[in-house]
Amino acid sequence: MRVLVVEDDRSIAEFVAAGLRQEGFAVDVADNGVDGLERCRAQPYEAAIVDVMLPRLDGLSLVAALRRSGVDTPVLFLSARHTVDDRVKGLQTGGDDYLTKPFAFAELLARVQALTRRGQRATEPTTLSIADLTLDRLTRRVERSGAPIDLRPREYALLELLMRHPGRVVSKAMIVSHVWDYSFDTGTNAVDVLVHRLRDKIDKAFEPKLLHTVRGVGYVLKVE
Amino acid sequence: MSSRWSESVRHAFAWRLGLWYAALFVASTATLALVTYLLLGRALAAQDHDVLQSMLTRYAGEYARAGLPGLRGLLEADASEGRHERLMVRVVNDQAEVVYFATPPGWTDFDLSGLDEPRRSPSPWQAIADPTGGAVLELGSVDLPYGVTVQVGRSSHVRDELLRRFRERALQVGALVVLVAAIGGLLLTTAGLRPIRELDATLRRILRTGRLDARVATLGSDDPLDQLGTLVNEMLGRLQTLVGGMHGALDNVAHDLRTPLTRFRNVAEAAIVANDPAAWKEGLARALEEADRVNATLTALMDISQAETGTMQLGYELVDVRQVTEQAVSLFADEAEDRGLTLTVEVPDGLRVEADATRLRQVLANLVENAVKYTERGGQIALIAAAAGNDVTWTIRDTGIGIAGEHLPFVWDRLYRADASRSARGLGLGLSLVKAIVEAHGGTVAVSSAPGAGSSFSFRLPATRPARRD
Repeated sequence: MRVLVVEDDRSIAEFVAAGLRQEGFAVDVADNGVDGLERCRAQPYEAAIVDVMLPRLDGLSLVAALRRSGVDTPVLFLSARHTVDDRVKGLQTGGDDYLTKPFAFAELLARVQALTRRGQRATEPTTLSIADLTLDRLTRRVERSGAPIDLRPREYALLELLMRHPGRVVSKAMIVSHVWDYSFDTGTNAVDVLVHRLRDKIDKAFEPKLLHTVRGVGYVLKVE
Repeated sequence: MSSRWSESVRHAFAWRLGLWYAALFVASTATLALVTYLLLGRALAAQDHDVLQSMLTRYAGEYARAGLPGLRGLLEADASEGRHERLMVRVVNDQAEVVYFATPPGWTDFDLSGLDEPRRSPSPWQAIADPTGGAVLELGSVDLPYGVTVQVGRSSHVRDELLRRFRERALQVGALVVLVAAIGGLLLTTAGLRPIRELDATLRRILRTGRLDARVATLGSDDPLDQLGTLVNEMLGRLQTLVGGMHGALDNVAHDLRTPLTRFRNVAEAAIVANDPAAWKEGLARALEEADRVNATLTALMDISQAETGTMQLGYELVDVRQVTEQAVSLFADEAEDRGLTLTVEVPDGLRVEADATRLRQVLANLVENAVKYTERGGQIALIAAAAGNDVTWTIRDTGIGIAGEHLPFVWDRLYRADASRSARGLGLGLSLVKAIVEAHGGTVAVSSAPGAGSSFSFRLPATRPARRD
């Protein structure tokens, strides 16, 4: 899977490109809007990550030009601006998603994966499992070592999110938007509380521990 | 360039106004004087004519009755009584010989030769011009029997003299009028353009000093110029709020970002000098947390500034109060449960409010978070929404530690913390954000509290979107 990163800040571009390569993506980088547009037209990409503020041609114009020439590569906008208006504008010009700087790489990855999946929408398995923990998405039944675990709806939603991305760090913002179904960005510790409760239920009485905190980034479900 | 342009326009305008005033004043005064002069001249001429006519009748009658001696006697009697009226009296007999000729003192010689000619016109009146001066001799003739003609004339020089003096005086007064007109025009321009000059001066002062607190002096009247001043003041007020908000935001950003940035730096520095991978990891994790905190602070500060300066874009929609309230509460439900707090929500069915749902949720979440944070184990938190007239009110009441009276007025201020511990969790921006967002919606906030007795935060929003002030 090939993605294009159009970002003029080299440090950010390298960080994103390196992270995506580690996840198995082939990554091209363009450091200005004109270059980005040309590459996008010359070659089909599975997704493009486009900074809004770019030299020579800004991201919004780039995507607008891309859409005019019939290229429908999914686009994830990156921007340091942080107003609803900017989001709306970004999506109106043909962007598919929007991420504000600074961002956690985990979140960027999740969004890029969502974008590249969007076309094919792989059928996810109805049963998710990691180690001896299983989650049945049809019956909403969760078991560890064969023993049923009783989860509240929000705890279930969190566990499902983590189990869909085993071994991957899931950011707090992703959890908030998945579990509470709306964006919320104060320094609330609601996520910590929820994770703590879930950990109590799925990890406390069991070995190995599955739910780990990656401080400052998010949470990950994995066997260490 | 623009200032010179406005200067010249201002002067041109002032000049035009002054000149128009002066010209109008002079012209109307001159017209008045001219009309008076003409009427006066005519009235004097009419009066002379009347006198002439009555004297002519009188003298002709006397001559007819008593002949020349009688006329002479009458004339002398009249003269001694002062009734001669500066008349020329002339009697001509049938042989065209002048039998009597009397002239008043100061008599100018008129050319009377024409009088001896037989009169052509049937009118008894004649006018003879003085070849040297401008005076006119008006003369009436009465033909008596036996070919005798009695003629009485009067020179116009007396009334000419009167009129000349009038003209002279009028010119003197005229000069005065021009002076008055000029001064009047100047005063009028000065007084009339005073508001504009003040406006000009105020704006210049602002441009020069960059201080937006200057205001144009206004009287609050219906005068258009006064209202212009009021409008300019209003505009300046808004600019000041805006600029002040931006300054405040910048100050706060500088102050509030330096602290976490310093921590950020310290953490990284401590990690890099440590020779321990665990310390590196710890440092990196803390650095990430600090970075998130900087970002959260920045976002909150921007939100507050935008809300306070009226530049926050509010996506108004009809919001289900119960839904938005429960969404906000659900963020803290787990924490409340863990801490043994009873968290109840009370919203009447079908209550709706026109507001920005995301911002309203933010307001509610901040208030609930505060209540949860400051209420001890086993406490109670009640969130009650209700319709109140055209408003919707929310009250969040807790049985928490409460706030001392001396802190109450400041709880909405940025970065104010009652416990003065800046290390406490949270940004100290929550309540200012609440206030700013509520006020941006045209609502109000209130708080009542006592130490140990819990706190009650409430806010009120108009149920329908307030009309934009324009």
